[in-house]
Amino acid sequence: MDRLSILLMGFISIVLINNLVFTKFLGICPYLGVSGRIDMAFGMGMAVTFVVTLSGTLTWLIDHLLLMGTPLEVTRYVCFILVIAGAVQLVEMYVRKFFPSLYESFGIFLPLITTNCAILGLCLFINLWGIDNLLEAVVLSFGAGVGFTMAICIMAGIRENLNMADVPESLKGAPITLITAGLLTLAFMGFAGMVK
Amino acid sequence: MSKIKHFIEQSWLLIVASFLFGLLIAVTNAAWSPRIERNKVEKLNHLMRGLLEEAERFEPAGELEITSSKGRKAGSSLFKAVSGSGECVGWVFNAQGPGFADKIELVIAVDKDFEKIAGFDCLASNETPGFGDKIKEQYYRNQFVGAPAGELVLVKAGDSERIDSEIVAISGATVSSEAVVRIINNSMTQIRRQMREKGLIGNGE
Amino acid sequence: MANDTNATAGVYKETLIAGLWRENPVFRLLLGMCPTLAVTAAVKPALTMGLSVIFVLFCSNIVVCLMRRLLKPHLRILMFTLTIATFVTIADLFLKAFAPVMSETLGPYVPLIIVNCIIICRAEACASKNGLAVSIIDALGMGVGFTLVLCVLAGVRELMSAGTIFEIPVFSLARTGGWFVPWAAMSMPVGAFITLGLMLGLVNVVSKKTA
Repeated sequence: MDRLSILLMGFISIVLINNLVFTKFLGICPYLGVSGRIDMAFGMGMAVTFVVTLSGTLTWLIDHLLLMGTPLEVTRYVCFILVIAGAVQLVEMYVRKFFPSLYESFGIFLPLITTNCAILGLCLFINLWGIDNLLEAVVLSFGAGVGFTMAICIMAGIRENLNMADVPESLKGAPITLITAGLLTLAFMGFAGMVK
Repeated sequence: MSKIKHFIEQSWLLIVASFLFGLLIAVTNAAWSPRIERNKVEKLNHLMRGLLEEAERFEPAGELEITSSKGRKAGSSLFKAVSGSGECVGWVFNAQGPGFADKIELVIAVDKDFEKIAGFDCLASNETPGFGDKIKEQYYRNQFVGAPAGELVLVKAGDSERIDSEIVAISGATVSSEAVVRIINNSMTQIRRQMREKGLIGNGE
Repeated sequence: MANDTNATAGVYKETLIAGLWRENPVFRLLLGMCPTLAVTAAVKPALTMGLSVIFVLFCSNIVVCLMRRLLKPHLRILMFTLTIATFVTIADLFLKAFAPVMSETLGPYVPLIIVNCIIICRAEACASKNGLAVSIIDALGMGVGFTLVLCVLAGVRELMSAGTIFEIPVFSLARTGGWFVPWAAMSMPVGAFITLGLMLGLVNVVSKKTA
């Protein structure tokens, strides 16, 4: 029961309280670039969720089985980024071969994901927080993906409506998106302190 | 055979580069790692000296374990503070727990009989600037200096100058203040028990 | 001959200026947003971050430029990432050894330079296509442009949230009898997003006037 509650708390905390986009500024580039339409945003979110869960788990395993406590620890960043690049490549090949229709809908986002800082960021945070249990690492990685999807979909919804709003000429595009994102982070601050 | 040849043709640069880069990282690490280690020790020593001024040096006194109220286990390093004349003047250990937004990590110092708190400092925290991060400020931390190492209680209003087991919360940051008190209370009882089991301090009876 | 040298010097100057303003990585290309927002709560970490990025950009541009003829197209991105990750590790070790306080403040944002789009974008768009001199100048221009934006943003935020710049008091604080009440929100994520948004708006206005 205790373990379950730890996992649940961890999940809620990474989705709402420590949301990677709103509190750690990770994954801002696709957040600003892609989130123009809700269906695109959702596709991107799903692709990120998949890759982040896979690479979060893999890097945790590599970190704990190979790197920790050995002199190889210094190559952690190199290993992490190679795992992520490999995972992205693997997912892309797999999806293209077995789910062509799925590939049509979100395959184009896959190559972009390697340089999505949310993924490397999450792997680094799992290491930084000292997560020492595989199940927890999996849940946190999945939660991070869900949190990202949620953030990017909310933003896309707002931006679809922003198109109809009368925004000052010089603030059109990226500036107003950033300001909206700022207001969203304020709203999400309300969740802080929920998990004790 | 031709497959292997093709493979090598395509990837020789990658293999050579990995080797060279690995060598580069290894050399840099070998050159700087003593300094990095020294920095870590110095930082901890600096924090601990701020809490126990009469201490001359800090000797590692073993690794202990703290279980949080949620059942999560975390390691804690215990240090024995030794004065210039070789006497034990106190103990220092680290403890952690959830704060308002993120984990709070504290260094806690107690006197040599584990009766009074000598102070605490933040190793790492990510509390809201302007509110929760006031737990690092002197006026809040001073309330703990000399407080009994028993169960501390957090109160909303009171005299923060008086030293007793009542800790006055920071206005606007009750959750952060509460987190600090909870971390200290929780770790205190467990560290004391483990130290008694090891025979490092008397039984108190 | 003289004409030729002049032309090359012109190209160098053009490349340098492009990074600073016309193609400024943050204001114009919207690259490297994560560190721009995350480390600009104060000037000192922002400057450290900027210098680390200049170092990594400089080294990776040189290495990528030197091996540009040997690159196999489909292994290109992998080679770039490998190069960048190596130099980021070195920068991280350097900070841990010589600036431990800064290294702690920046935390995971130092390794996150690996996925900073500026660096991989310059490797792809400039260093793998141009000569050594142009690549180096491009790295410096882009790096300095990025650092300047970081410092300006951090300056505004630090001034608003603590009344200091570079930890030197500028405004007299209300707490000590002055007039300035620190605006804590500026050092929170909200401040980062909104300040950058307004700054981008300002840049749009200025460049429209000068165009």
